[in-house]
Amino acid sequence: MKESATSIASAAITIFLTGCIIIAHDVSTGFRQSLAALTGHHWISVSVVAIVLFVLSLVLLLGSKNARKSLKVYDIKLWSTALMAVTLIMILGILAVLIARYLAD
Amino acid sequence: MLLVIGGIALVYERWIGHALIAIISLALMVYALTTGAILKGRIKKKSPGNVIKLHKRVGIYFGALILGSFIYGLWLRLENGESILASVHGKLGLIILLIGVLQVIPSLILKNRASYRILHKIMGYSLAPILIIDASWGLHNGVIAGTKNLVLFHSITGGLSALLLVWIIIEMLYPADRSLGRARIASYLTALLITAGCWIAGGYNYLTVYGSQVKPVILAGPHPWAHEVVMEAKEHIFVFLPIIAFALSITLFALDRDAFLGDAKSRRALTITACLALFMVLLMFLMGAVISNAGHTGAEA
Repeated sequence: MKESATSIASAAITIFLTGCIIIAHDVSTGFRQSLAALTGHHWISVSVVAIVLFVLSLVLLLGSKNARKSLKVYDIKLWSTALMAVTLIMILGILAVLIARYLAD
Repeated sequence: MLLVIGGIALVYERWIGHALIAIISLALMVYALTTGAILKGRIKKKSPGNVIKLHKRVGIYFGALILGSFIYGLWLRLENGESILASVHGKLGLIILLIGVLQVIPSLILKNRASYRILHKIMGYSLAPILIIDASWGLHNGVIAGTKNLVLFHSITGGLSALLLVWIIIEMLYPADRSLGRARIASYLTALLITAGCWIAGGYNYLTVYGSQVKPVILAGPHPWAHEVVMEAKEHIFVFLPIIAFALSITLFALDRDAFLGDAKSRRALTITACLALFMVLLMFLMGAVISNAGHTGAEA
């Protein structure tokens, strides 16, 4: 299967964008409030955003041959490594922001 | 099948046993729908094998579980002196049972099933949303009855997911003819458990109970960082886990057997993804344990 890494690439993109949103909402109170206003709770909003981003990126990659080619979606090893790296970086980033905020308070 | 239902009923006397049977029924329903779609050619399969036999067998198991689940629910209601038809959950359960009977019995009795096929298909597809609505309704009722059971359910599904991920890793490390099929099943179950048990049930508990009952206790106790850092991180880092589980399932679904057996690079990549998901589950367990401990310490202080 040439492009079996499509969903792994979508997951890596989703986790990167969701991670950035999480860090931004931990840093900015205004952004957190706007996320909370979206669904009633910031956690639900982040969950919904993650689902939407995953589905969107998956549909985009499945629908566009050029996007798959330019992102090298056929390389499953590359994307599984990227998924692992992005996830670990985002976990560390979120923890670092929360620890810094706790120590500052 | 009766032993499974009986065993669950004996271990869990309350709604959680009924819920466990419903979850197994949901998984069987998905399998029956998939085999039905393969039979009709909507899902392409290179080596279909004896799909009719499989579809029939899954249908019978599903019917048996639905019957068992209904009797179990009836027993629980009667224990409390309530009528089963007094609740929406009970009414939907009865409808599911009737559809289940109408699906299984004529398929086994009728010799010429051509005229029955359309009705069988309509009922099969309508069963899926009704069962999901009823299961969610039942879960909501059960949650209201006791939130501690919900935390237990959340943890059990997390534990089962970890076991399933280990199974996937083993299948990747020791590939055989049937490894891909088994890894696929394990990955679908992992995605289901992580979504239903960890994400939805855990999220419901977090939104309804944790914020009002546990969080104030932790913040007033000797370890406020358990909420400020650990819980705040856990609730958001967790969102990555279902995405990884779904990516793993979709990739295994898309991968063909030859590529799986012949391409060690693909297997290594899938092992990395499964290991990442397993690491996330274990991290969630560790964080959950720290939060629970801080809650207990806070309550004692």
